[in-house]
Amino acid sequence: MSLASSLFGQAGLRPRPVPLAWRSLMSNRRRLLRSSAGIGFAVLLMLMQLGFEQGFFDSSLQVIRGLDGDMFLQSAHKYQFATQDPIPVAELATARSVPGIASARPLYADWYDLFWTNPYDGKRFLVRALAFIPDQPVFTFPQINAERQRLNAPGSVLVDRRSRRFLGMNGAASQSELNGAKVAIVGSFALGPDFGSDGTVLMGDRTFAQLMRGVAGTPPGMEAGVLKLAAGANPASVQTALAKALPPTTTVLTKAQLIAFEHAYQADVSSAGPIFAIGTIVGFVVGMLISYQITYADVADQLPQYATLKAIGYPTRYLLRVVLGQAGLNALAGWVPAWLLSIVLYHVVGEVALLPLRMTLEITAVSFGLTLGMCLISAVIAVRRVVAADPAEVF
Amino acid sequence: MTASLAWRILTHQKGRTALALVGIFMAILLVFIQLGLFYAVPQGGMLLYDNLRFDLLLVSDQYEYQAQPGVFALSRLDRVRASPEVATATPLYFGVAKWKHGVGGVWPDLFVIGFEPRSGIFRPHSINRQIAALQRPDTVLVDSTTRSMFGPLTPGRVVEIGDSAVTIGGRYRLGTGFMGLGVALASTANFTRLFPGRGLGQANLGLIRLKPGVNPILAATQLRALAGPGTEIFTRTELGRREASYWTTRTSVGLIFGSGLLIAVVVGIMVLYQIVSTQIGRQLPQFATLKAIGYGDGALAVTVSTMSLLIVVAGFAPALAVGVWVYRLIREATLLPVTMTAAHVAAVLGAALVMATVSALLALGGLRRADPADVF
Repeated sequence: MSLASSLFGQAGLRPRPVPLAWRSLMSNRRRLLRSSAGIGFAVLLMLMQLGFEQGFFDSSLQVIRGLDGDMFLQSAHKYQFATQDPIPVAELATARSVPGIASARPLYADWYDLFWTNPYDGKRFLVRALAFIPDQPVFTFPQINAERQRLNAPGSVLVDRRSRRFLGMNGAASQSELNGAKVAIVGSFALGPDFGSDGTVLMGDRTFAQLMRGVAGTPPGMEAGVLKLAAGANPASVQTALAKALPPTTTVLTKAQLIAFEHAYQADVSSAGPIFAIGTIVGFVVGMLISYQITYADVADQLPQYATLKAIGYPTRYLLRVVLGQAGLNALAGWVPAWLLSIVLYHVVGEVALLPLRMTLEITAVSFGLTLGMCLISAVIAVRRVVAADPAEVF
Repeated sequence: MTASLAWRILTHQKGRTALALVGIFMAILLVFIQLGLFYAVPQGGMLLYDNLRFDLLLVSDQYEYQAQPGVFALSRLDRVRASPEVATATPLYFGVAKWKHGVGGVWPDLFVIGFEPRSGIFRPHSINRQIAALQRPDTVLVDSTTRSMFGPLTPGRVVEIGDSAVTIGGRYRLGTGFMGLGVALASTANFTRLFPGRGLGQANLGLIRLKPGVNPILAATQLRALAGPGTEIFTRTELGRREASYWTTRTSVGLIFGSGLLIAVVVGIMVLYQIVSTQIGRQLPQFATLKAIGYGDGALAVTVSTMSLLIVVAGFAPALAVGVWVYRLIREATLLPVTMTAAHVAAVLGAALVMATVSALLALGGLRRADPADVF
């Protein structure tokens, strides 16, 4: 039995199939509007929760995903990427000597020590600082790469114009301070904050060393080595060779492993998973109740008609299919507007909260599956009345 | 008569009404959950303050929130201490160091709070009964909710924190809040050994206790002048407001749970509207009859509103009960201090009444169509 015929009526019983589920749905437009609004808002709730969960992880993985490398070196003691645990820059030379490595570049970073002065109100805030050698770019972000040459000038920085507004990075100011030292703002890029940092400043390695010398007294080590493989190199054997050549205090990770490492940390430590799962589950249950109410009311109203169909010989199976088909159409009528509205809401909330909220295939599939599931389950529970409908009793 | 009519309609078909109750129960529960999460984050931010004894807090004017307070010169606190209104003024020091004995060789960051053990500024008994341990050299107390990645927190275990070998003197119960994954308490003497470059001249928080009978608001004004520029003094009320506004406006927390809250209320309206309008649809001939025998639209509107109110009130009590239970589940799963307060109950009840009113208004549209001539 094809989906279309189960939705729109069974072919073969009649010369022209009657799309009963469809007609029954359209017979009361007002009720259709009400039911699609009811189911739609429950779906919207699920979509927002799913979107927030994904946005949370996306924001915490943005920097790592934007790294332009096949393999990465970082301290074996790191429990998350965004923690101070530098390794010696000299390890890059060791890495370059391993066959199959095309390039090895340093990424410097700091999360705890650099305070940015809002150029408009003079207030100081902790920011995330990322640094690289301007002639050896380590990011895939096109805006950063277009402006990186300007970072060769000492004391020059690029700022994240998607940083939290109170940092004052989204204006036209050309000068500010980091830890009280003057810096020239030579350009900007759009990255966005995550749950650990409010904003990002990008600079050349020399500017970074100058600023950090004030903090630590010694030139800083690198937080990550960004490696590229030569064409045709076997990643697994290069990884093994690197691990052998480097001290055990340094870990070698592929990009997928680095992303998985950070994702596992965020999932383990943050409460994002359970919090948004609770919201999604409650949305599902509420949606199920609404949809049960809809199907139940409809079945109750149409009971004489269903009984008549039974009396003239349609099997119960056919009636079941009509009710389920109608529940499926209800699911669709609720899901489509909710999905469209959520795209708008993702955009608006994403811009205001500076979260990377976006509609993905995964969210689309999961939300549709949940919607269909809640409508069909509740229809199955509600349909028992049709099964029991005795033509003799109804009239 | 309208209220009892509403009651009769609802009790006429018990199964149907039970279903409606489950629906509205879920909707109210949803509002409870979103509201609980909305407030949990600022409450998590207040965790340390709630466990400290003080009337006024002296901080740097760079103060952002509790875990990013900035520093001020200790001499500022000394000036305040000299005031006749001040009973005690105690500095608190914050530092972050690597805990070099994590599970699987990781070095998680430990948030260390340095204070004078005899000052008695902490409320928890689990801290105050371990003062002797705090006073031993190179010994710290560790918060018992420190994440498992730190490995066993067994008293007597020696761990490397930063560049020092430190003995775990014991555990205490306070909670890590937003201070970090793990928190430890150290005496000021041990704190300086853990952070050698730091010194005690720059403090992070100054906890001021006033003499009995002194009005904290008036004292704060006077002490502000005494402490001088570059510092701020907050009363407890001001501090609570400031921390809450930091978490709800400076981070995405407010927007995420705020929008969840808003959608929860709309979903509640939809559920209730669905229920009430189905009831109206089924009773349409009866309503039309009432109209025909002379009842006005107003009387019917009151009946519908009463129905909607009755459902909400009946759904509220079980939602509150289950809400308390779900809060506990969330507390255990997320370590966020989600607690049911009188303010929450009042706010959700308010939201529920709004839901009842709006859905009744929406459903009345259907009732107006009840034309006696059409129905029969």
